[in-house]
Amino acid sequence: MSSDSERFAEAEDGGPQPEKHCGHGRGGMGEDVKRKEDQRFITGRGNYVDDIKKPDMLHCEIVRSPHAHARIENIDKSRALDVDGVVAVLTADDLREYDLATMPTLMADTQDVLVNDKVKFQSQEVAAVIATDRYTAKDGAQKVVVDYDVLEPVVDAEASLEDDAPLIRDDIEDKEDNHCLDWETGDEEATAEAFEEADVTVTEDMLYQRLHPAPIETCGAVGDYDPGKDKLTVHMTSQAPHIHRTLFAQVSGIPEHKIRIVSPDVGGGFGNKVPIYPGYVVAAAASYVLEQPVKWVEERSENIQSTGFARDYDMTGELAATDDGEILAVRTDVLADHGAYNAVAQPSKFPAGFFNIFTGSYDIDTAYGSLTAAYTNTAPGGVAYRCSFRVTEAVYLIERMVKVLADELGMDPAEIRRKNFIQPEQFPYESSTGWNYDSGDYEGALDKALEMADYDHYREEQQRRIDEDADKLLGIGISSFTEVVGAGPGKTCDIAGVEMFDSAEIRVHPTGNATVRVGVQTQGQGHETTFAQIVAEELGMDVEDITVEHGDTDTDPYGLGTYGSRSTPVAGAAAAVASRKVREKAKAIAANELEAAEEDITWDRESGEFHVAGAPDRSVTITEIAAGAYMNHPSSEEPGLEAVNYYDPPEMTYPFGSYIVIVEVDRETGEVEFEKFVAVDDCGNRINPMIIEGQIHGGLAQGIGTAMLEHVTFDDNGNVTGGDFMNYLLPTSMEIPNFETGHTVTPSPHHPIGAKGVGESPTVGSPPAIVNAVVDAMSHAGITHVEMPMTPDTVWAKLDEAGLATDPADSISLEFEDQSSDTTADD
Amino acid sequence: MKPAQFEQHEPETVEEAVSLLESLDDRAVLSGGQSMVPMLRFRLAVPETIIDINRIESLDYLEEDDGWLTIGALARHADVEHSELIAEHYGSFADTAPLVADPQIRNRGTVAGAIAQADPKGDWGSVLLAHEGEVVAQGPDGERVIPADEFFLLPYDTTLDENELLTELRVPTPAPREGSAYHKLKRKVGDYAMAGSAARLVLDDEGRIEQAGIGLTAVDITNVRATDAEDHLEGERPSSELFKRAGELAAEQSNPESDEHGDVEYKERMVNVLTQRALGDAAERAGLVKQRVSQ
Repeated sequence: MSSDSERFAEAEDGGPQPEKHCGHGRGGMGEDVKRKEDQRFITGRGNYVDDIKKPDMLHCEIVRSPHAHARIENIDKSRALDVDGVVAVLTADDLREYDLATMPTLMADTQDVLVNDKVKFQSQEVAAVIATDRYTAKDGAQKVVVDYDVLEPVVDAEASLEDDAPLIRDDIEDKEDNHCLDWETGDEEATAEAFEEADVTVTEDMLYQRLHPAPIETCGAVGDYDPGKDKLTVHMTSQAPHIHRTLFAQVSGIPEHKIRIVSPDVGGGFGNKVPIYPGYVVAAAASYVLEQPVKWVEERSENIQSTGFARDYDMTGELAATDDGEILAVRTDVLADHGAYNAVAQPSKFPAGFFNIFTGSYDIDTAYGSLTAAYTNTAPGGVAYRCSFRVTEAVYLIERMVKVLADELGMDPAEIRRKNFIQPEQFPYESSTGWNYDSGDYEGALDKALEMADYDHYREEQQRRIDEDADKLLGIGISSFTEVVGAGPGKTCDIAGVEMFDSAEIRVHPTGNATVRVGVQTQGQGHETTFAQIVAEELGMDVEDITVEHGDTDTDPYGLGTYGSRSTPVAGAAAAVASRKVREKAKAIAANELEAAEEDITWDRESGEFHVAGAPDRSVTITEIAAGAYMNHPSSEEPGLEAVNYYDPPEMTYPFGSYIVIVEVDRETGEVEFEKFVAVDDCGNRINPMIIEGQIHGGLAQGIGTAMLEHVTFDDNGNVTGGDFMNYLLPTSMEIPNFETGHTVTPSPHHPIGAKGVGESPTVGSPPAIVNAVVDAMSHAGITHVEMPMTPDTVWAKLDEAGLATDPADSISLEFEDQSSDTTADD
Repeated sequence: MKPAQFEQHEPETVEEAVSLLESLDDRAVLSGGQSMVPMLRFRLAVPETIIDINRIESLDYLEEDDGWLTIGALARHADVEHSELIAEHYGSFADTAPLVADPQIRNRGTVAGAIAQADPKGDWGSVLLAHEGEVVAQGPDGERVIPADEFFLLPYDTTLDENELLTELRVPTPAPREGSAYHKLKRKVGDYAMAGSAARLVLDDEGRIEQAGIGLTAVDITNVRATDAEDHLEGERPSSELFKRAGELAAEQSNPESDEHGDVEYKERMVNVLTQRALGDAAERAGLVKQRVSQ
């Protein structure tokens, strides 16, 4: 595997060049190819899990606990079974017969599929009703009578670690408290020394609040056991169908080759569809037992209340610096809420994900971080919501702290960043917490963003408003983030023991077109276009002649799935390497066709043709070669033209960017309006700029949701109070400003096509820029932090604290004109 | 959406609807469905029968009639939003309509339905109160007119009789020197109000406030009138100081609760701020010259 990667990873002509992004007119690298998948999406011909209908299909409704913490004393199914159309009611006792009462989480905790004994969070799965239609299933679910002995809940991580907190995990042997895990990184002693010796230190507490990825399609599955073939097919909303098949095999005991997972069109995942949820298991188990297809599709509130949440890191950040703004050390302490089970979704050797990238874009010699995670009576989670495993929390921490330090020192926040950036010549750069940054030019991106934002003008305008005591304050926020995406390498990164490689298989057909199958799974990212462009670039084919398939474990090569921006860094590399393997064989066929020696054949990236060295007229196209492979194959080669590659990345990729957000803060109400929003991204070589731009826009919208609106909240009784779209507020187009996007190109040196992941940069990079902007509007009055989400009441409390709140009537004058005047006034 | 099973009736006249209300026990009226459909979806409402009034064409109007602006039970929020009559003469209605929910909901939801729902976080109740409007109901014994002041009882509870159908809302057509406005604070488009304030001012020939009406949203168990503020305004000349004091009085009279929309201190402060803003706009629309002072 690795020898293939090495042999084919480097293209003979150095690969696609950043300067040649105009493409070759065939839809290869750098071209704005219209998304192939959109034909079916915009004409209503998508095929999502809930679109799947099977003969005799039954429907599943899950009975959920209204309590956050309660022991189940009895479950009475009889009234539900009396409902006409209800076929079965399943409880943990039924699943136990099949050894399916519990399932492992991705972090090897044991989670109840249906509650065995004690409910640990509100909306936990208690029973499942199977009926002939979904309405009847719900009718039946309402008639399942569950007797609960209600226990005291604890929904706050700090409270859960207190001595007298109720014990949540009495299912774990000898467990006496709600402590989940401890983790640390860096050099504690050296960091403490640096803080003692520093001219200046700053500290700030900040909560990265509990979010939910809230994909527009909720989770669902159709379990379809075929007793004739003894094969279980599960159509499910999965970001990682292959690893889900392996886990299904391990949990159920059904041999892996007798299981087929199909992830059809998926309406957004954002990390929410990485874990396995009880509903999937129940639908599959019910189908296996009843020998009929069973569909389960969540309602919206079920999705928000029971499936993987994100963030919930309560962080303290500290920086030590010199008087002139050189950052000497960073230190952080985190209290993480993992919910009722340890079900964070990240590589198994990384209990805090990649949080230890919290030195960010800066050359900081000394760092130390510590973390404690707690169990609470809340849904399990800690999924990587549109980010690479806690890098979002890390970026928020460092980018907020840099602003805090700048204010303490009275320095311009752009200047202090410039002073501390890792410089281009320092790459590859090893950080003080052990990361190997591949490439970057942070100042280049910041300079571009400052220019696009007209930074100096707005700084003047900001001061003018302060001087004139204006009604609306101006704030300017910067975030110069670095991401770490594209897990593996497999030796350090694994999911449930399976190394995090990925794969691509290319079959060129006799008439010159190709089918490409990849191990990753799109949820809207545009894989069917982007991967086709990579293959088109590397084989000199037209993008229209390439079809990309994914999401079916029966036909696609094994892969670890799409999350953590890993598709392009890993499977994209696999597609390039597999293409180059095809190209290698194509040379032999070209030599045969052109009656030349194989070593005399060269491939021209510009024309996409193979020709005899020194004789460009003696050339063949990939179409002619494809025909030759099947109709006139050289005796030295096998017939056919295909290749597969399993790519184990040597390192991750480190996309980066600078975002500048300018806001107006209303001193009367605390409302925040976006005046300008500039996003400069660098994801290395760009495959499809239009798709990248779409990704940036979507991610920025989610960053705005994070900063301004979203929060899964609970009351003291453990009730989810932010568990539906009336209370969990997603931004719409009305809350989203015009985005001005720009880019720089710093290719990844180790990636076959020089590309980095990009889909998550905006979600990761934008929240601190937005918060920094709101803080910046009030920092002249001593405000150093505003917690997210920055709803008007949160912001107004800070205005009030800083003495900046004003009355509307003070800013108007009213005059009565005599009767003869026109009474209409213009507005 | 998986509601419990129900039967649906689709009357074409008010009389038919009222007789269905009288003859059926467990029933609910569906107009725009703005609140009813979510309640069915959550199975908070599980009526045996839905009486869908959308086919009663005689209830679909929005017009001035004999000294009243009359709003039929089937007038949608969008009808108000896009009405020239409203845009020209009814500032508070013109302010409110585009702030209700989102465009999809405004296309279906009705103003009368929102009033009948009596959600204290609803916007229209405040406007109706500020204008001293009336609710017209049709029951088995004929028509009944209920002043807005006497309509709202509790959250989701009104003085509408259970066999009555709300058929019309009405407010007096504006006096020569009248202006009204509505200000609402919300976290995002489609969100309920964190707080809202509707103000209506009628000026006399000298520029004094002859009549003042203020209705508040989301700060008590129903939409409420800020009577102390109204009393303070009447007989006075509009000024910044007067409006600030009126804002304070409105805040003092309000009775909000802390929730996800903000704490008590913030909500009271916003009642004050939004009332000041609404009064400023209402005064301008009544004919005063409003200018921003140099800040």
